[in-house]
Amino acid sequence: MRNNTEHNSSRKMRKNSTQKFTDYWRRALSPILVALLLLGQLLLSPSLYAQNGTIILKGTIVDDENGQGIPGLTIRDNTKKFLGSTNDKGDFTFSTISGTALTFTMIGYEPVNRTFTRSQDGLTIRLKPATDQLNEVVVTALGIKREEKSLGYATTTIQGTQLTDAVSGNWTDALSGKVAGLNLVRSNAGPTGSIKIILRGENNLGGNNEALVVVDGVVINSGSGRRTANAGETVYGTGSDNMPADYGGGLNDINPEDIENVTVLKGPGAAALYGQRGANGAVIITTKSGSSKRKGLGITINSNASLESVNRWPDLQYEYGQGLAGAGYYSYGAGPDGASTSGTSSAYGPKFDGQSFYQYDPATQAQGKTRTPWVPYTNGVNSFFDVGQTYTNSVSVDGGTDNTTARFSVTNVQNKWITPNTGYGRNSVALSVNSKVNDKLTISSKVNYTNKFSDNLPGAGYGNQSLMYWYIFWQPSADPNGLRNYWKNGQEGRAIQYPFSSFPENPYAISYEFINKSVRSGITGNVQAAYNFTKELSLQVRTALDFSYEQREQDRPYDAGTKLPKGSYRTQNIYSQEATSDFLLRYNKKVSDFSISATAGGSILRNKYNKDEIRADSLIYPQLYSVSNSAGVLVSVPDKSRYNINSVYGLLSLGYKDYLYLDITGRTDWTSILATPERTNNSGFFYPSASASFVASDFFKLPKTISFAKVRASYSQVGSGGTTPYITSYTYPIANGGLFPGGALQNPLVLPNPDLQPLLTTTYEVGADIRLFNNRLNFDLALYSGNTKNQILYRIVDRSTGYNQTIINAGRVNNKGIELAVNGTILQTGAFKWSSTGTFSSNKNVIADLNGDSSVVLRTGPVAGGQIVAKVGGSMGDLYGRGFQRSPDGQIIYDKATGFAKITDDVIYLGNTTPKFKFSFGNEFSYKQFRLNVLFDAQVGGVAHSLMNYKLVEQGKTKNTLPGRYNGIIGDGVNLNADGTYSKNTTTTFDVDSYYRAQMGADNAEGSTFSTDFIKFREARFDYTFSKRITSSLGLQRATIGVYGRNLFIWTPWPIFDPEFGTLAGTDIVQGFETGQFPSTRTFGLNLVIGL
Amino acid sequence: MKKIIYSTILTLTCSVMVLTSCKKDFTEINTDPINSPTSTPAQLLAPALVNTVGAGMLRNRNFNNELMQVTVSLSDADAQVFRYEYRRTFADYLWNSWFVQLTNFKDIYTKAGETVTLNKSYQGIALISQVWIFSMLSDTYGDIPYTDALKAREGILEPKFDTQKAIYLDMFAKLEEANTLLAANTSILASSDPIYAGNVSKWRKFGNSLYLRLLMRLSGKAEVSATVIAKIKQMVDTSPGTYPVMASNDDSAILRWTGTGAYTSPYVTNVREQDWRAPSISSFFIDHLRDWQHPVLNITTYGKGGVNRWGIAQGKSGFQGVPSGYLPGAGIATESYFYSSASLVSSALVTNLQNDPLTGMILNYAELNFALSEAAAKGYIAGSAENYYKTGILNTITTWLPNWPNATASTTVTTPATITDAAFTSYLSAADITWNNSASLDAKMEQIHLQKYYALFLVDLEQWFEYRRTGHPVLPKGAGLKNGGIMPARMTYPVYIQSANPTNYKSAVAAQGADEIYTQVWWQKP
Repeated sequence: MRNNTEHNSSRKMRKNSTQKFTDYWRRALSPILVALLLLGQLLLSPSLYAQNGTIILKGTIVDDENGQGIPGLTIRDNTKKFLGSTNDKGDFTFSTISGTALTFTMIGYEPVNRTFTRSQDGLTIRLKPATDQLNEVVVTALGIKREEKSLGYATTTIQGTQLTDAVSGNWTDALSGKVAGLNLVRSNAGPTGSIKIILRGENNLGGNNEALVVVDGVVINSGSGRRTANAGETVYGTGSDNMPADYGGGLNDINPEDIENVTVLKGPGAAALYGQRGANGAVIITTKSGSSKRKGLGITINSNASLESVNRWPDLQYEYGQGLAGAGYYSYGAGPDGASTSGTSSAYGPKFDGQSFYQYDPATQAQGKTRTPWVPYTNGVNSFFDVGQTYTNSVSVDGGTDNTTARFSVTNVQNKWITPNTGYGRNSVALSVNSKVNDKLTISSKVNYTNKFSDNLPGAGYGNQSLMYWYIFWQPSADPNGLRNYWKNGQEGRAIQYPFSSFPENPYAISYEFINKSVRSGITGNVQAAYNFTKELSLQVRTALDFSYEQREQDRPYDAGTKLPKGSYRTQNIYSQEATSDFLLRYNKKVSDFSISATAGGSILRNKYNKDEIRADSLIYPQLYSVSNSAGVLVSVPDKSRYNINSVYGLLSLGYKDYLYLDITGRTDWTSILATPERTNNSGFFYPSASASFVASDFFKLPKTISFAKVRASYSQVGSGGTTPYITSYTYPIANGGLFPGGALQNPLVLPNPDLQPLLTTTYEVGADIRLFNNRLNFDLALYSGNTKNQILYRIVDRSTGYNQTIINAGRVNNKGIELAVNGTILQTGAFKWSSTGTFSSNKNVIADLNGDSSVVLRTGPVAGGQIVAKVGGSMGDLYGRGFQRSPDGQIIYDKATGFAKITDDVIYLGNTTPKFKFSFGNEFSYKQFRLNVLFDAQVGGVAHSLMNYKLVEQGKTKNTLPGRYNGIIGDGVNLNADGTYSKNTTTTFDVDSYYRAQMGADNAEGSTFSTDFIKFREARFDYTFSKRITSSLGLQRATIGVYGRNLFIWTPWPIFDPEFGTLAGTDIVQGFETGQFPSTRTFGLNLVIGL
Repeated sequence: MKKIIYSTILTLTCSVMVLTSCKKDFTEINTDPINSPTSTPAQLLAPALVNTVGAGMLRNRNFNNELMQVTVSLSDADAQVFRYEYRRTFADYLWNSWFVQLTNFKDIYTKAGETVTLNKSYQGIALISQVWIFSMLSDTYGDIPYTDALKAREGILEPKFDTQKAIYLDMFAKLEEANTLLAANTSILASSDPIYAGNVSKWRKFGNSLYLRLLMRLSGKAEVSATVIAKIKQMVDTSPGTYPVMASNDDSAILRWTGTGAYTSPYVTNVREQDWRAPSISSFFIDHLRDWQHPVLNITTYGKGGVNRWGIAQGKSGFQGVPSGYLPGAGIATESYFYSSASLVSSALVTNLQNDPLTGMILNYAELNFALSEAAAKGYIAGSAENYYKTGILNTITTWLPNWPNATASTTVTTPATITDAAFTSYLSAADITWNNSASLDAKMEQIHLQKYYALFLVDLEQWFEYRRTGHPVLPKGAGLKNGGIMPARMTYPVYIQSANPTNYKSAVAAQGADEIYTQVWWQKP
């Protein structure tokens, strides 16, 4: 009975997990609390320690970068009284009253505030060269550079160094925790690890929520950045189909070393000028250019090595082995001990108690001749995963004259991933040239070339060709090393050996014989010319091209499952091209206190995509992969799409006295996607925006503590027709994959919409940017509210309508949220500096209207009626599924006869899959040449369903299935009596397998739905910059060496790997249903930068 | 300088004008380069038939056969169909597969009715196919969307459910219309018709035989029985010329799998070999065949390479099955099972049902005879129940062994076997299944339906439908049965319907009864 009391009902377990979670918070928040206390103390400290009396201070003021003295620097007190200045060596001597707040200011440097309470000699005060925050220039839509203070909408800029501090396999991962309101949805599907960026939460029911990604003015989302799925591959591939590999896209391939900075324009207002595709915000990446400030050539060598290993495992049990219902013996195949017990995938078998049984012998691939000890292979299944390795080396050369600058870089990446025989390589070349031909004409160009290749990418998801499927099905009582010889003895190349249940495939066979290859070359680049007719009038003309060509191949051996008994060879050639040409005519004029800037422009966009797939799903000779070896007819699966978008737009900016700014924009797009083969009349749509910025600190006389204060407000509309063509006319696809002789057709499963309208997003935003104590403490706050109407939805309908889905224009989703970013210098004494940053964001949406439909099913999960449903009054990402039947007071109802939990027939609400809050906390400590950076981030309030949890529980693989083996278990809940009353459940069940299946198995979505809250120790970096003296003596300009870590720890109630998972779904990555995710990893790396 | 400015502005203005007019190309750009804007009935028919039959076959195997004791899964796990307990997720497959195929048949009917592509035969075939699918859906779920169904293009995304009664009455009207349309005998493209290779008169016979199947299904329902029985009598006795029905096995509606391309058996493409072999055959199913010495079990005369016609492997002690409905933990071990396509016996591939051409059963001649035998026994029609009974038994055998009573290898057969042949008579008496005209009606029903059970082997869910209607053949009941030991009366509606069509779902449940497997459908209630 001990086990009975140990065991809890699932409701209680949830309570327990909440409790556990509170503990996580307590543990994780304590350092933050301590830090906040310290911060308070430091801010208060000057007054606490103030004393009266004159003191004398002597010392030197030096440049923080080169250590040289700064001459001519002025020292003032808090009343701005001049106290002294430095001599030509940077030395100073002055006297003041103890406890006076002193300011050391110098043009070109950030001011330093210090307070002294006693006389000191030999002080060294380091000044950092100023980054000129107040007049920071931001790259906005269409590459227009603006002063940050003139903008009426929220932007965040991330410097390139912040991305390379702790290099990630996919550089976008490094944006995590650095931008308030930025969400990353990760595929977790292999080394390329595709990531989708969502800004400010999902507001579009159709799932088209991704932020626009712009590299040097080239929009790459639907060109090289397009994720393309192979036809017929899904992550829930239980029909023995090929599993999808994550082939990545152009966004992953950008070399973080080449990134100068990334500007995130969060709201649609920011992106209004990008047109329909900017409705979800934009991430604008500017790559590095040559610098004319540098004398001569600058050569930088950057070398990086990192190791990654799994950072979190499911809690597997190693007390019971393969078998069912606590069987008394084990026998691989029938034998002297009795009938075979080795056919099951479950580990509800005999306890490891020192017995010996007839077990599998890998050498003979049959039952062993003698009984061998029945022992657990602790961590056996986990040992399948290796340590991943990534080596990145890059060299960049830059330089310039007064009129021409250039930068060139070459990077090589080699990756070996955590599963055997997987990984990729990448070479990229970047070139940037900028030439001032004469006073009026400037010509510039940036070109990035990438070549990425992989000999094998792992198939992701849940199906017999997947490694994680095997992970679930493997037994604690067996040694996976016994699988290394994966061919059946005597049938090499023709039949695969797998000893147990027939469902999973041998993981070594998958790794070495089920090959997914890819070679991709891509060029993104632009050429632009700017001509200044007069001082006021200028014209910029630009053409950008995003081009990629990829060849993929999938090889499958003989015996690769039901559908491919004779192997398979498939190839895809994918050609993608997007070309944009645009012009901008600009007129700037300053009339007394007013500045006027008017811009007019137009653009033409051409997008083309071709995928030609050839399939030979039966081979004459095994392991010979070519079309000539096809045993049957070659099947061709074509995929083509094409669309054009033409646009005209205008922008009017007004400024008054450097503190009041107003922007008005208007844009019309014509998109071919909204046209039909018969008409074009609703393919064009107009949308406006207006924004204002007011720099209060330049207008009012504010208290000295406020160094800068700006308030902003904006209103904007953005329309969109999406990027999927051919959804406006009814067409007949080829039936059954073209297998019918003479060609046959069928009706489409998705009903198109000939009256398709653009969706329209309207947003109101207000914000403030406040900087205190000489920019030592900065706040940036944004509040927004808006709605998205006329969404283009793929609505899952009752099939009795004759279709699986219909494309509709429906819905209004109201979206509102808050974003706050805080950064401050907490402590700066001498050479020591501690600064912190924090972000907080929350987004809430409410589905206000669905055109009269009470609910719209957006996505269905693999089991237990799990589905994402939009209901009026609900939120985006609401998860429904079957769950426990409960009494009115919330207790689980158990069947009196069987003792199993009773499951509802109807689907019930299980939570929302989008987290309610996200926040982050980062700290940087620097002391002399040392620097330490740590970053934590967290999310709260989301849930998701875990397929792996349900399956591991059903098969008795996890520790939470141990209670009740095999002394019986009583579920914590009630029985429903015949008279309608409830009484405490007292039924003991000994059928533990069935008990846990009812608790968390295939029929019970609630049982395997968990909170995805987490706190992650996201980044840490410790580096040392060699001092000028050392580098000069080595003939170097600079040298830095650093060690770093990523995703070091995760604190979360989520049971399996990473709560921040996403799932590949065709061309998208979705949240909500974990479907056999790969393990999450922790990375340690070493980084060396040398400037010649 | 000014000149440059003006010319630039002029160029830009022009390009703006060009841009706005650029949407003229949009019609062409947004025309799908792969899919076809139109289709013909001939292009649509074959895939729609193949996909409909395929879905029925898969559920025949893992649902009907488990409930009806053809096979028994060896599992102690929860929610086993053979224990009258199945997961709600079972409900989605047929609903989702069959309704979208109805869209194709509806489209064929519409297209074949248009002036350009006018073809009465395709219209008739489309109507028969619609009735066939709608009847299977309604017999599986009860009330379903019918009048409002398949109208998404007309804007109905949440269709109302119709009562089963209304559906049946309209289906009868459709079959009348089909019979009239097909009487014109307009020719169709042979390659578009994988069932009868373009033989329109056979489609007409199939339609009327289907009509009789459905009339019989309602014949015991008090509120309609009089009209239904009158109709049966009219079709069989009064005007058989107007209602031609199947007259031999050649008329059977079977989609024959050739094994190439789209005509590969769904049992090959969708069932893994190890899964195909996994369920054991139930004692109920195999004991009769063995005791009767049914030729499909016979290896020596009618088998090939040591394997019988139905590809059934022997158990530990010959042809033996396992009892269905056993209790979990009863320690049942596998006995006879169906060989899979790569099974070897003495190193040669064997005859097996996994890749057999005949598994695409829709409605066969034997089934029709048993229906008529029942009608005669109940006095609905004038003919001899015994003769129909015998014809049913004989044609069940000759469907699988056309040369019977000659050996498979025989090439000397000139005339097909008849019910008066000595070999057949001696088969009946040896098997002790000779017709007993003096038996009670219930005993006669058992006799007919036990044989009909084998005629319905592999025919979608018909064994289950007939059992629910008649209670025959009487199946043994194991101790492990759930649902009160009562045969489930329906499949529940797919769970997603609760969200995708909530209002109509609720009304349907209110009208029909709880959405449970024990809620009887209309024709099942007395």
